[in-house]
Amino acid sequence: MQHIDRFAYANRLTRLHPAYKVGCSALALVLCLGVPHPAAGLSVLAAMLMLAIAWAGLPSAFVLKLALGEASFLALGVLGVAVSVSTSASAMPNVRMGPLWFSVSPDTLWTASVLFARALGGAAAMNFLALTTPVVAIVDLLRALRVPALLIDLMTLIYRFTFTLFDSFGRMTLAHEVRLGFRDGRRSLRSAADIGANLFVEAFRRSRRLDLALQGRGWDGALRVLPHAYDHPRWLNRGAR
Amino acid sequence: MTLGFSDVHFSYPALSVPALTGATLRFAAGEAVALVGRNGSGKSTLMLLANGILRPGQGAVTLDGQAVRYDRRGLLDLRSQVGVVFQNPEEQLFSASVYQDLSLGPLNLGFSSVEARERVLHAAGRCDLLNLLDRPTHALSGGEKARAALAGVLAMGPRFLFADELTNSLDPWMRANVLEIFADLLADGCTVVLATHDHALAASWAQRAVWLDAGRVRADGPADVVLTALRQQLPPAFSHRRQTADARPPAAVSAGLNEVPL
Ligand SMILES: Nc1ncnc2c1ncn2[C@@H]1O[C@H](COP(=O)(O)OP(=O)(O)OP(=O)(O)O)[C@@H](O)[C@H]1O
Ligand SMILES: [Mg+2]
Repeated sequence: MQHIDRFAYANRLTRLHPAYKVGCSALALVLCLGVPHPAAGLSVLAAMLMLAIAWAGLPSAFVLKLALGEASFLALGVLGVAVSVSTSASAMPNVRMGPLWFSVSPDTLWTASVLFARALGGAAAMNFLALTTPVVAIVDLLRALRVPALLIDLMTLIYRFTFTLFDSFGRMTLAHEVRLGFRDGRRSLRSAADIGANLFVEAFRRSRRLDLALQGRGWDGALRVLPHAYDHPRWLNRGAR
Repeated sequence: MTLGFSDVHFSYPALSVPALTGATLRFAAGEAVALVGRNGSGKSTLMLLANGILRPGQGAVTLDGQAVRYDRRGLLDLRSQVGVVFQNPEEQLFSASVYQDLSLGPLNLGFSSVEARERVLHAAGRCDLLNLLDRPTHALSGGEKARAALAGVLAMGPRFLFADELTNSLDPWMRANVLEIFADLLADGCTVVLATHDHALAASWAQRAVWLDAGRVRADGPADVVLTALRQQLPPAFSHRRQTADARPPAAVSAGLNEVPL
């Protein structure tokens, strides 16, 4: 999460208007979902990896590792689709384990591979968006699209609080650690419960303080902020001129 | 323009000891005021009252002699004149980016996007934040957060600035920078009230000091007089250090220490 955030703020596309990046990812998603062929998902995957590495300049090792992780997770997931289980032998090649017969048919294999490619392509499209676009930019875009203010304010605050709570969590864990709170199993459990309860109280307290501070700045229920200025691709600028 | 407290009492709900009892104070334009007093003496409470976040249980807060009205219009009016930077800057930043955080105040005051942008850039320039505007607020250091919190209030153009222990997390250079910002504000006729435990800073910076003690104004007057009186109440601190200060450091160390002014 913190890695993703760091990359989002420091890649070549950070300042590019979010509409282009969201557009790219959305197009990729539509392609993945619309074309029932594994080639669609796989080519989207390849394209998105290319964009992330060559266009956005993200470190290839990180991007590939992320995709690989998702691939192995998905592979396990589609295993259940590819392999059918029954209590009697079927016409397809069978493997018997105790009372159960496991079989694989071309049909189930095809479905599984479409599913796998589709999900992988979709995940790559989302990775691209998450790794190149700061949350602020996405929120700016949503605001421009006239998404209700309440949702936008919630997104903003959740995002902000995620980090402040991470911070508190880190500090509380450290505070327990230096007092040997994780020395053995029983103590660890106690410490974890302690931290959990305190974190809740801390979140509540913080939100109270934030509420006061916002009131001090004339806040009256809507978090009005200025949108950032974003870049547009060069070829578009040339066209406009 | 003046901001007044007349016989202000305040107690936090569920607390038997009142946080402020009968505070009467008047802040005039262009004053540099240090607010001093022990932990829990009511400094932060006073600031929250100044900004209308807390309402006096008894007595009144006045702006130019008029009692503050606690309706929407009246509060917005008060808050456009009185800005408060709170004790913990971390807790005042709400937005994902510094730029957007700074823009909240001006937009709330009803400025257009163009004017708000100008104000944000001006405040950011004053607080040395121009190259941090795109930064996410969670990726700032403590001192940077303090400056962002200050800039968020400055962008609203207050006539009275209350800063609650703002200088604590700042390095000496940034502290000087903040004191310079204060000097600019004072020159513009703004009033700056700084709550602090740093008595040396208070003595060198402020003209006037207000000493709060257990919710009462114990002394209010020229900074040097009030702080001298306060100093007499201090515990005999560092007595151990004082005893050993005369002992000479080993020659090798003292050679290395020669240039260090102590
Ligand atoms: N949110 C709160 N709820 C209940 N009591 C509070 C609250 N905030 C402060 N108090 C109490 O009110 C009194 C005045 O507190 P205040 O925060 O104004 O002191 P302070 O002078 O700012 O102290 P410090 O130097 O520690 O910041 C204290 O007794 C404190 O315990
Ligand atoms: Mg305080």
